[in-house]
Amino acid sequence: MAETSPDPVNTSAAPPPERLSVSPVLPCVLAWLTPGLGHLYLGKRGRGIAFFFVVLSAFGLGLASGGTASLIDPQQPLSYLATFDNLALGPFDLVGRLASVGSLEYRLPPDEGHPRRVALMSRLRERVRHPTYEYGNTFLLTAGLMNILLILDAFDIAAGRKD
Amino acid sequence: MIRSHFLNLLMFSALVAIFFAFLTQNRPKDRVRVILVLGGAMVVLSLIVAYVMYPFPRQQ
Repeated sequence: MAETSPDPVNTSAAPPPERLSVSPVLPCVLAWLTPGLGHLYLGKRGRGIAFFFVVLSAFGLGLASGGTASLIDPQQPLSYLATFDNLALGPFDLVGRLASVGSLEYRLPPDEGHPRRVALMSRLRERVRHPTYEYGNTFLLTAGLMNILLILDAFDIAAGRKD
Repeated sequence: MIRSHFLNLLMFSALVAIFFAFLTQNRPKDRVRVILVLGGAMVVLSLIVAYVMYPFPRQQ
């Protein structure tokens, strides 16, 4: 009696897991508003909680270490990227900006003698003198970058590209 | 505020490793492996680079 060989085409016993597919806009907005909230909305509870604590720890350490929210300075092109990175933290950027810059400003006046620019530069120089200022900035920028990745990850999960 | 360079390095490595472990892995065992490998690599490589740079004088 000949043995029946397994079907080479259909070898998997279980069907592939069903992927989630919802509108990606809301999870992305939620992820921007609060780190991890987009994942919580998508049913990834463990990940959402972990991301919330990790990103907020980086943000808190950044502020506590003397880090400063970036201001757009037209003479320094990289300041655009750094400010965009800060903005990726959503409402937490407002907290960081108030705590470090002292006001909700995003741009340095281009005129060197402008009184507002002088005041802001004076405030920033105070922060730079902080012994752990560089560490603080690194933590703050890393928190923003992590939240950008979280927004993109929430998009991928919502679009069904990732489990 | 942490003033120690090494403690800052440890904190930074731990946070980044935990973040990428949860971002890229689904199973707890795989996450622990990523945390150990990625976090450990960041700390060890930083110490090696710091050691290699140590003989170089600071520019006056």
